[in-house]
Amino acid sequence: MLEKILPDKFFKIINEKVNLKAVNEIRLRANKPVVINNNGKLLFLAETGLCGDLNKALFASKIIIEDVIFRASECSIYSVNEQIKKGFIITDDGIRLGLGGNVVEENGKVKTITNFSSCNIRIPHVVKNCSLNAFAYICKQSSVENTLVISPPGAGKTTFLRDFVYQLSIRNLPYNVLLLDERGELDYGINSNYTDKIAFSSKSEGFENGIRSLAPDIIVTDEIGQQNDIDAIEYATSCGVKLLASTHADSMETFMAKKLFRPLIEQKIFKRYVLLSKRNGPGTFEGIYDENFCRIYK
Amino acid sequence: MKYLLIFIVFCVCVFVGYVFSSKYNRRKKFFAALISFADKLSLEINFSRERLRVLIENFDETNKKHLLGLDEKFVNYLDKKCELSNEEMFSKIDILKKEEKDIILLFFRTLGRSDVENQTKEIQNFVKRFLEIKNECDVECKKYGTLSLKLGIVAGLFFAVILF
Repeated sequence: MLEKILPDKFFKIINEKVNLKAVNEIRLRANKPVVINNNGKLLFLAETGLCGDLNKALFASKIIIEDVIFRASECSIYSVNEQIKKGFIITDDGIRLGLGGNVVEENGKVKTITNFSSCNIRIPHVVKNCSLNAFAYICKQSSVENTLVISPPGAGKTTFLRDFVYQLSIRNLPYNVLLLDERGELDYGINSNYTDKIAFSSKSEGFENGIRSLAPDIIVTDEIGQQNDIDAIEYATSCGVKLLASTHADSMETFMAKKLFRPLIEQKIFKRYVLLSKRNGPGTFEGIYDENFCRIYK
Repeated sequence: MKYLLIFIVFCVCVFVGYVFSSKYNRRKKFFAALISFADKLSLEINFSRERLRVLIENFDETNKKHLLGLDEKFVNYLDKKCELSNEEMFSKIDILKKEEKDIILLFFRTLGRSDVENQTKEIQNFVKRFLEIKNECDVECKKYGTLSLKLGIVAGLFFAVILF
């Protein structure tokens, strides 16, 4: 898919001179150098591959960015406008394009984004067994513990969640897993016989509809960040559904200071907290904590 | 031999007249098909929001044949990463005027590049313009289409009489 959306020149260099497996993000900004997040390091794209020298960097233009977005929408921007309203486009291959531009609002609601000026192409990776260290602490023989994966952006939360679902599937554990996927990127590389998916739905609607219609044992969802999400989590746990979710924070202290999560912390809804960082590259395990925030791993 | 020559000259004149008259007819049918194509796109974009490629490929065959292959050329362009050009779109199409080609090219260039509301408005604006051109084509066809055929026949008869 990257071949289809990137300009030929950029793709040729990335394909021939860059290790695509190490590329996490490609950032295109109008009249600015193309920046590549290569295993956590930010480097410029140049004719020779990746470099730190601005003078050798290749630049993106507004036309290039608009064309990349046009191609990512399969030449039909109108068909992905609901995603654009939320600030991103997901391709069929799970590549997520975060969009920057002018937000058009009407009656207080985002109508669309126009005049695109930047685009962050996030390339999904399947890192087999990346959740294995935590698996034994989360998955007990008879059940799965409610778990929250905490990390700063781009540190491997989604990859962890994907691998966890993969680990459940290869062990043939008889849990019906519901992927509640607001951005349509959670199921990339998952081929499980026990997994259902609700994509592009808000968490509140997705939790309610999913529990009612698909009767899941576990709900896996990404990026909890609003009051509605907290309400949905409380609703799900009151229904006896187990949860595996993620949120943004760079440390346990930052997370605990978030007012939004206070009710969940006080009710001890999450029994496990997995902290990830980018210290040694995305997905670095910083620790696993129990409901009392005692470190139980590392 | 003489009668055969008279007959051939007559046929050639009528054929030339027919060719000129059919050009007007083809233009009329082309713009009618283009309006139908744009209307269908506008409707489908509003309701099904299906991708352009699928919408174009599902366009009905009857109208499709009058589009002079523009739909196929546009679908081919969607696979490439180049700019949609006049030469590529209108190669081997001789019934359109330059300004008409420019408008049609602009129409195809705007497809798929905005949200539902703006895309629909843009298409409707183009439909209005296409309708104006189609009306001009209707008038032209009535005026010059039949005239060309009649002139062809008259010229054929004229030469036939001279040769006789």
